Amino acid sequence: MENILNIFVKSIFIDNMIFAYFLGMCSYLAVSKTVKTSLGLGLAVTFVELITVPVNYLISKYLLAPGALAWLSPSLADVDLSFLTFIMFIAIIASIVQLVEMIVEKYAPALYNSLGIFLPLIAVNCAIMGASLFMQERAFANVAEAAVYGLGSGIGWLLAIVAIAAIRERIKYSHIPAPLRGLGIAFIITGIMAISFMSFMGIKL
Amino acid sequence: MSIFSSTTWEAFTRPLGKDNPVTTQILGICSALAVTVQLKPAIVMAISVTAVCACSNIVISLLRKYIPTSIRIIVQLVVVASLVIIVDQILKAFAYDVSKQLSVYVGLIITNCILMGRLEAFAMSNSPLDSFMDGLGNGFGYGKILIIVAFLRELFGSGNLFGLQVIPQSFYEVGYMNNGMMIQPPMALIIVGCIIWFIRARHEEMQEK
Amino acid sequence: MKNFSNLYIFTFAAVLVLLVAAALSFTALSLQGRQQRNREIETKRSILTSLGVTSTVDDAETLFAKYVKGSLVVNPAGETVSEEAMTAQDVKEQVGRGADRKLPLYKAEIDGQPYTVIPVAGKGLWGAIWGYVALQGDCSTIKGVFFDHASETPGLGAEITTDKFRTPFAGKRIYEGGRLVSIKVAKKGTYTPDDHTVDAISGGTMTSKGLDAMLKDCLTPYDNYFKKQQN
Repeated sequence: MENILNIFVKSIFIDNMIFAYFLGMCSYLAVSKTVKTSLGLGLAVTFVELITVPVNYLISKYLLAPGALAWLSPSLADVDLSFLTFIMFIAIIASIVQLVEMIVEKYAPALYNSLGIFLPLIAVNCAIMGASLFMQERAFANVAEAAVYGLGSGIGWLLAIVAIAAIRERIKYSHIPAPLRGLGIAFIITGIMAISFMSFMGIKL
Repeated sequence: MSIFSSTTWEAFTRPLGKDNPVTTQILGICSALAVTVQLKPAIVMAISVTAVCACSNIVISLLRKYIPTSIRIIVQLVVVASLVIIVDQILKAFAYDVSKQLSVYVGLIITNCILMGRLEAFAMSNSPLDSFMDGLGNGFGYGKILIIVAFLRELFGSGNLFGLQVIPQSFYEVGYMNNGMMIQPPMALIIVGCIIWFIRARHEEMQEK
Repeated sequence: MKNFSNLYIFTFAAVLVLLVAAALSFTALSLQGRQQRNREIETKRSILTSLGVTSTVDDAETLFAKYVKGSLVVNPAGETVSEEAMTAQDVKEQVGRGADRKLPLYKAEIDGQPYTVIPVAGKGLWGAIWGYVALQGDCSTIKGVFFDHASETPGLGAEITTDKFRTPFAGKRIYEGGRLVSIKVAKKGTYTPDDHTVDAISGGTMTSKGLDAMLKDCLTPYDNYFKKQQN
């Protein structure tokens, strides 16, 4: 239990997808112009990560890892399919994103319209692929830990995109040097936010 | 440039300059800034992305008339993912040290927005040769930014280039210190911000209102 | 936009999947040998480094064969279980197990002196850290160490791989008056220098703590085996 809480807090604040790994920057910068849309996208990403990370965990544990097929029959114990990891992960992610897209289109058409092109692009959102790959690298003990990690890193991403959207809404009224306006200042603000997030580094539960 | 028509050549040069994928189209920064702490992994990353981008552009461009519209995103992902796996396997076999440094970031090339962006915007509607040049150009344009950032971070962060010390020891003796902030993640973002500032200050038409 | 029939879409997808699968399997199989060899050479070089032997990719195998005499797996009671060669990567799965924990070690001999190399594995700030600890014949004095990491911060936590961090380990002792105390990694200036403590990395506190815990976790279970060797 303690371990799960630790993973959760760590994945939100310390291993934050944006501030520590720069993952999901494309949609982060492009959609963070208003708080409302960024909240929607953030929720979608969190939801997709919550599902894809544990699913990918099971896939990599029972299908792809070296010797993972041994549960099917002992003769398969030597099979190592780990070279298929990337393609399996991205296929799972793409299909789940497709599912989310259909659900959002049906039940929340307004949100669907405002997210526009970015919903299908979630599939290539590095934060989601990244979460699955980091999950694999960290070798979590069970599927619950993996799910919590997915949820946590999704929430971390949500936090980051909503925060920057709020700042960008305000910054419109400031006098920024013309060449820095928009993209340039967004990068620098993100950098400064990342510095402040570094203060969470020592947290251990 | 007799063998290339002017549009082909332009497909190559445009992304290197004014149409740079990173600084103007905000594409592809995601997966790679984390490898810019040192120059060597950054260069390998740039080469890998360029190779995958150029090859996937050719494949998709060749297939563009046959790909069913409804599954085209999946087809693109499959092509990109397979090329990335091949790159990953090759790195593991022939450049083991670097592949360890890049770790998960090789896999993240799949989700590099430049690739999908170029496939969707260019390769789906252009000839293989043009697409190939476009892929190369975008890869180089992306690599250029990556290498500039890595150069600055390694030089000021650890006083090295390619892992060799370039800032003379005598500097340290009179009190020069490495800037520890440079090797932390936030500085990569701030450096990119400054590069954009610099480029947009020179090209006024690129400034946002 | 042309319209495609469902049959066409299915056929297209099927053909694509077959082609991709064939291409990937071919690449993976043809490069597998090389990759496997890279990993083995890396392990061998790591062990050699901990013994203080510098090697290159090309001579690692010869040097390893020359100095490393064999491998053993013991249990926490100190009895030999098998002669399997387990790397630091394999140790990861063993951490936290009780009485059935497999404790691998390598036996080496350089210039007539016997050495014991213990693979260790643990967690740093961001991800896995691992290494090899070479002990002298008394199973207490450290001959040398090797550490590596998956994703520590370059310039800070990643400094555990440097000579500057590793060298002070040599000559330290893991036993104090018959009790296994492992090696502590403590912040410079916060401790009185003794035989069991080395300087932590400044700025790499979490990695240093992880390394400290790793050494304790991975060396303590060998207590019974070491005592047998010492008597």
